[in-house]
Amino acid sequence: MYAIITISIVAIIVLFLGAIQKKTPLLPIIFVGLPVAFIINLLGWNQSIHYYNEMYIADNFSIAFNAVLIFTTLLVFIFAPVYYKPVKRPLEDIYALILFALIGALTMTGFGNILMLFVGIETMSLSLYILAGSKKFDPNSNEAAMKYFLTGSFASGFLLFGIALIYGACGSMNLETIKEFVVAHHNNIPAMLNIGLLLVAIGMTFKIGAAPFHFWAPDVYEGSPTLITTFMATVGKVAAIAAFFRLMSSSFSDMESSWVVTLTIFAIATILIGNLSAFYQDNVKRMFAYSGIAHAGYMLIAIIALKQQAAGVLLLYSISYTIATITAFAVLILVREETGTFSINAFKGLAKHNPTEAFAMTIAMLSLAGIPPLVGFAAKYNLFIAAIEQGHLPLVIVAIVGSMISVYYYIRPVVAMYFNLPSATSAIDSSSNYKKQIFLAAFLMIVLGLIPGVIINLI
Amino acid sequence: MSSLSLFLTVFLTGIVLVVAGLGIAILLAPKSFNLQKGEPYECGIITHGTSWMQFKAGYYLYAILYLMFDVETIFLFPWATIVRDLGYQGLYSILFFIVILGLGLAYAWKKNVLKWD
Repeated sequence: MYAIITISIVAIIVLFLGAIQKKTPLLPIIFVGLPVAFIINLLGWNQSIHYYNEMYIADNFSIAFNAVLIFTTLLVFIFAPVYYKPVKRPLEDIYALILFALIGALTMTGFGNILMLFVGIETMSLSLYILAGSKKFDPNSNEAAMKYFLTGSFASGFLLFGIALIYGACGSMNLETIKEFVVAHHNNIPAMLNIGLLLVAIGMTFKIGAAPFHFWAPDVYEGSPTLITTFMATVGKVAAIAAFFRLMSSSFSDMESSWVVTLTIFAIATILIGNLSAFYQDNVKRMFAYSGIAHAGYMLIAIIALKQQAAGVLLLYSISYTIATITAFAVLILVREETGTFSINAFKGLAKHNPTEAFAMTIAMLSLAGIPPLVGFAAKYNLFIAAIEQGHLPLVIVAIVGSMISVYYYIRPVVAMYFNLPSATSAIDSSSNYKKQIFLAAFLMIVLGLIPGVIINLI
Repeated sequence: MSSLSLFLTVFLTGIVLVVAGLGIAILLAPKSFNLQKGEPYECGIITHGTSWMQFKAGYYLYAILYLMFDVETIFLFPWATIVRDLGYQGLYSILFFIVILGLGLAYAWKKNVLKWD
């Protein structure tokens, strides 16, 4: 809770410094404020405090996910000076909106009342709608914002309608009370509750970008400014999946029979559509959008195979996906700065000029594909084991097939970087900060791949 | 199973009602065609020009700012009815809320949103 308040204060200060045309202190304030919020967030570990009549619960689950979200946002801000180098005006509105979106994400992981979930989702989504269109004079960016806004508000409508039906059936929006209702009416769950849960699930699968509600993701990810895409693909997705997991595990775990089949079909469709579509992409940014869809499918498996252990596995998977994606996008931003294109050809011969960046990109791609000993492998392995223990063998077989397909398109940039002759461009110079960040991410991917148990047993 | 059949009954009744209402209207309603009925405003001035034109973003920003104070009123009224019971804590909370809203207005002011040119 106090982490959210800290970030709000930082965001407001940033907004006002920008309004009075002070440009230099913006990023330093964020670089002080976010680590402070990170530490304040961790101070609540093992205390499980409930705030405001159970509206917000700071238990270990939400604290762990909030730590991931704040850390990811910090990494995104490290790229900001490089990405926004040509822009001369103070960027306080963009920075403040990223922080406001982060506040929404933090609210989503720790909600104790479904209304709070809706407030969090709207806070995050509304900021992201504007951020998607923040490249004002680029038609693609405008198109992305428009598509995201229209489809996203439609999905929010579904979510709200579902919440209303759940409230109608249970007479409460508190997660604990809903669970008591579900346990008490175990044998005759009212149809209204089933339909409400289905509508909420539709809204949530839209937000995580899972099939069949994934259609917005490729266009929005491609059109948005790359820095914002990085933020959307990591913080937005992880927050939504954590919120979905929390909702299902704390309220509806006792009526599994009514939603497991639906979500299994969603997950299978998501994995297949994401991987098969990414197969055909020549635009690396668009490929990452489909890769994000596929990973949303894998993360759905953690919700389907609900058990105490699954929260830790989901945390590990979120960390592995986040770090790898953010590293890949960091290199993508650099390549784009130099060549002006997101095409796979832009990566040709990168290893000759920029061995560090090429190496980090390779690590990230292999981790996303799930090659041992990187963290992506550990995450997928534990996820599949958890699902098999719960008896979801067909789902795991589809997931493994999807994972094998994904190796092809993840390896393509690596092949282009190492085995193709460089195009005429010279070396891309990146700042030392940038290099440090990329190194840190690659290091984390290898270390966490060796000791995944530390994360899994955390919550 | 009873809940499923209840759901089906409600669902089918809904479909039948809508389809029947529209269908009967189509079958029974008298049909007449008149050029004037196709106009956007049946009475009044004849429209000219296209509706796909730009209009000032200032209208929109003003509306947003008005909306902000609408929301403030919505929160102030319930607070005002029980102001004695809440005591000083309630007073501080609502003051904090008003200050945050005021900051929003100050930002808009500083960004020249209130200047109409």
